[in-house]
Amino acid sequence: MVDWLSLAVPLAYLGVLLGSLATFSSLYRKRKARKAASLEPWFPAHLQRDIYFSLLHLEPSSTSKEKKAPAVPDSVLKAALLRRATEDIRRVLALRSQKQALAMLLQRGSVGDDLWQRFQRAEKEMEDEVRDVVSEANAYTPNWGQTIFQSANEMLNNDIYRKRIEEHQSKLAEERQWWDKKKASIQEGFMKELDEGSSGTTGNGAAQTATTTKTFETATSLPASSVQGSDDDAVLVEADPSASQPAPTPATPSGGGGGKKKKGKGKK
Amino acid sequence: MASEIDIYNQYPLHLDPASKALSLPSSSAQTATQTTTINTELQELNQLHRALISLDSPNIPPPPLPVNPKRSAQITKLRDSANAAYRKSNNAEAVRLYTYAIEMALSRPGWEPVTLARDELAGLYANRAQAHMAQQAWPEGLVDSKASVDSKGVGNVKAWWRLAKCLAEMTRYEEARSLVLKALEIEGRESDGGKELSGLLEDVDRALERPAAS
Repeated sequence: MVDWLSLAVPLAYLGVLLGSLATFSSLYRKRKARKAASLEPWFPAHLQRDIYFSLLHLEPSSTSKEKKAPAVPDSVLKAALLRRATEDIRRVLALRSQKQALAMLLQRGSVGDDLWQRFQRAEKEMEDEVRDVVSEANAYTPNWGQTIFQSANEMLNNDIYRKRIEEHQSKLAEERQWWDKKKASIQEGFMKELDEGSSGTTGNGAAQTATTTKTFETATSLPASSVQGSDDDAVLVEADPSASQPAPTPATPSGGGGGKKKKGKGKK
Repeated sequence: MASEIDIYNQYPLHLDPASKALSLPSSSAQTATQTTTINTELQELNQLHRALISLDSPNIPPPPLPVNPKRSAQITKLRDSANAAYRKSNNAEAVRLYTYAIEMALSRPGWEPVTLARDELAGLYANRAQAHMAQQAWPEGLVDSKASVDSKGVGNVKAWWRLAKCLAEMTRYEEARSLVLKALEIEGRESDGGKELSGLLEDVDRALERPAAS
């Protein structure tokens, strides 16, 4: 027969030990979870996701009081889901690109531990989010889940690409203005030099060289002055030290631009 | 944690029963910046929705490949007629046709492969730049060839050359020079366009040397 009394002491000891360990562990974990939850989220609010869920929960009564009227047509929900997937892709890519740098910084001790925790939480959330999107997509159309992220990825890339092209095209007005001004200043300076005409060889030289640029239609009717060209070269070079600058100062670029042009064309 | 995925911010959206367009009632309790972001998002959503309902049932975007050949064929047709116009040196007409083709290529639905759009637009922009250059519209040529180069950096010698040429014509030699060097680095001197690029580099260098010599 077992002596229960003498066994009670070690059993009680074990019980107290395990009990206190369990209490500590659960308390500690709870505290940690609360701390993690109180941390700032990695990403701002997921607008597309919010809209999608708002649509799902949109009450039929709020859109039309009578009749059944299915709250939101499927196609709208699909579009919203697609937008959501696109944003997810953006976030997943951001996480992926940040991960390595962050791990390195953490290793060196440059960033705190809670930053890493926030990051890991965001990673976990995104995993859930992606899984959720896939299952939602499959619910709308079988097998859509397999391609929705491919489509979303292309949409994201197309979006980025279109924006860049737009950016390029939006510079057109600016470039045009710049060039118009520059052209006008070149022409003006050139006309002034023409007026001064015989007063200085530099002026003639610049005028002559400018005629050879095919950009200035008005100038092309002055072939006679080209005779002096070769003599004036030395003077011309001295005259335009700052000509390579695109600054639209009136006189110097005309000499410089023209001079350069002539040289280039002469070799052809 | 399981409940966290179900948390979301509810927005009081309004669905127009006729057009199915979504909007945000103005009386809602959002801040001004929030309202604008939501509205832009809703606009994109509505646009996407319109694109989706124009598709066949089940109204989901098809996988990126294979591509619907209809639009490609149309773009090719437009480009060919534009090329013909350019060859007849009817430059204004060529620019107009290229612009149509570019618009059509730009309006490709988003879920089609981006590489396809890039290739197409690189060619179209390069050609339009050429047509602009034939009219001595250097700034337009510059912008178009820049877009082309940005679309497709490798194997696009012509666009690189046109870009540098436009800059040189606008007397921006420094920029032209650095671009030619970059292009030579990417394309290599041996390629077909390499010779022309080197030629242009020489011209630009000569142009740069003149003021520097003083």
